Amino acid sequence: MALLEVQDLHTRFRTEDGMVKAVSGVSFELDRGETLGVVGESGSGKSVTFLTVMGLVDPRQAEMAGSVRFDDKEILGLTTHGLKGIRGKRIGMIFQDPMTSLNPVKRIGWQLEEAVLIHNDVPRKEARRRALEVLEEVEIPKADTRMDDYAHQFSGGMRQRVMIAMALINQPELLIADEPTTALDVTTQAQILRLIGKLQKDHGMAVVMITHDLGVVAELANDVIVMYGGRIVEDAKVDDLFEKPEMPYTWGLLGSLPRVDVDVERLEQIPGQPPSLLRPPPGCAFNPRCAYVFDRCRTELPELRAAEGKDDHHFRCHLDGADRARIWTQKAAAIARGESAA
Amino acid sequence: MSELLVVEDLQKYFPVTRGLVFQKAIAQVKAVDGVSFTVEAGQTLGVVGESGCGKSTMARCIARLLEPTGGKIIFDGRDITHLGNQDMRMIRREMMMVFQDPYASLNARKRVGAIIAEPLEVHDIGSAADRKRRVQELLEIVGLNPEHYNRFPHEFSGGQRQRIGIARALSINPKLIICDEPVSALDVSVQAQILNLLKDLQRDFDLTYVFIAHDLNVVRHVSDRVMVMYLGRPVETGSSKELYAAPKHPYSGALLSAVPIADPKLGRAREQIVLEGDVPSPINPPAACRFHPRCPRFVDGKCNVDEPVMTRAPGASDHEYACHFPLEHWPMGEGELRRAGAVAQEPAPAASFD
Repeated sequence: MALLEVQDLHTRFRTEDGMVKAVSGVSFELDRGETLGVVGESGSGKSVTFLTVMGLVDPRQAEMAGSVRFDDKEILGLTTHGLKGIRGKRIGMIFQDPMTSLNPVKRIGWQLEEAVLIHNDVPRKEARRRALEVLEEVEIPKADTRMDDYAHQFSGGMRQRVMIAMALINQPELLIADEPTTALDVTTQAQILRLIGKLQKDHGMAVVMITHDLGVVAELANDVIVMYGGRIVEDAKVDDLFEKPEMPYTWGLLGSLPRVDVDVERLEQIPGQPPSLLRPPPGCAFNPRCAYVFDRCRTELPELRAAEGKDDHHFRCHLDGADRARIWTQKAAAIARGESAA
Repeated sequence: MSELLVVEDLQKYFPVTRGLVFQKAIAQVKAVDGVSFTVEAGQTLGVVGESGCGKSTMARCIARLLEPTGGKIIFDGRDITHLGNQDMRMIRREMMMVFQDPYASLNARKRVGAIIAEPLEVHDIGSAADRKRRVQELLEIVGLNPEHYNRFPHEFSGGQRQRIGIARALSINPKLIICDEPVSALDVSVQAQILNLLKDLQRDFDLTYVFIAHDLNVVRHVSDRVMVMYLGRPVETGSSKELYAAPKHPYSGALLSAVPIADPKLGRAREQIVLEGDVPSPINPPAACRFHPRCPRFVDGKCNVDEPVMTRAPGASDHEYACHFPLEHWPMGEGELRRAGAVAQEPAPAASFD
């Protein structure tokens, strides 16, 4: 039994100009103890998917459909009251910007205690003890004195540790991290990623890592979902995805990364901009930017189909197997040589 | 080849004051403390370091947006360190900046045409009709539709706004463009577009760049030479080929190995230096080698006593580093990280699920 099971999830926002189809038919499963990497550009629907999962999308502004089962219980459409005991307790969350997600006028210790007191019937003293324990666990130096500091007295990396501590304080079974390292320096990012990996091992949590950085996914995830235009365009085991990606958008992402390990003369670029979710292009959402587009792509949405010989690798593309294999072989060679295949 | 920009021992100290009416300086933040480098015409110098290392302050000093506390800035053979505003006007025609945040650096109430034409107006170049023609030409050069002349910045995406910022920087044909984190706010696919555009423009217009970034991957891709900064000082400089192939300073090594590699197998196999803690305060920087409290190769009695000077790497023409115990192998061999606490790399987290 999967810990989190999402079936055919749709989220549409009502706006003055019409319906914005932020998420269209997303399905996936996540087992206990696993890490799922979710990759995509801004506007690909990756954040909205998980905001919907957590019940953080306002139903007055959006229409949602499909099913989200957490530990075999349907949680889509539950009210704040219905989510009590799940959100913040069994599902923890970390957001990108630790400054705007912490209360600037309350001491850090108080905010951590609050997270305990809301979900557990314990005295404040006990909550404080747990807060201290979890701050030490996320490796904040001098945690007992830092408890009485405010958010602005912490550096960016330390603030993100406080956020992680807050997400972990009730020992969740699932941790959803939305771009937790994007605002940080590389060295701090390495610290935070290592910390998340370690905590996951210690607690046996499942983790969802939402990011635009394929490097972060490669380091941390077991499974990867690539999102584009509100849909999953490829999902696979992490090794398979980097070894033999099947979808032109994933090829583009891999080719457009500047790398430390190879000298690159010119980066491959994906031309154009991500699609408008208000008026998505007909057919495959990637077709206006795809180098291998043909007539069928412009009219018919490709189904999510399994890669040859693999039942845990799916992708959306009309190109046939031989073409994809040939193109990727050429591209992979070019990327390894540090040339652009474009 | 001629040197377009020479910076010698540049310093910028900010006073820390106390008191409301009678502000008394009680300490100094040494944001930039002794930076020297040269940039050849037509080349790119990449500057890398964590936040707080002084790289942006340095850029602002070079453009004379901040007054340097000490040192010398020689631009195109002329000492501009203490030029007055009038003289600086002429220099500013040849030196432009592109900023990090394409949302904050464009005036939201002005049309794109006016934004790009502004440097032309300030320097009183051409008639109104000339300027309009030039703006449309620039829009085309940076890959935007010339018909978008009359639009407002909010109608463009992040990548397109950065193109507008670049068009504005190009408008008066500068010799030097200082790019302060120009792609950090952009998505990967768009980042590649902007990096390629900057490279194309350099080739077409013979531009010289000082390119500031915290992402080593990005800097490698665009730079001829790279300077790694830590707490206001350079710790290593070299051609990007040499520096990336064989970094000498442990801090450069740490920066390099902290970047996640987009290849799961390679990522799991490599040795990594994970630095502990944050960059210390520049008000009271550590004595001697400023990196010593975080250094994995720290030797007590040497690194915290003797300040290392810039030393030329053996066999390299212009690869210099400031370290008593430079890295010997790259990728690192075993036992190169002496201090137990920082030997940091257990197997990469993902490997534990195999």
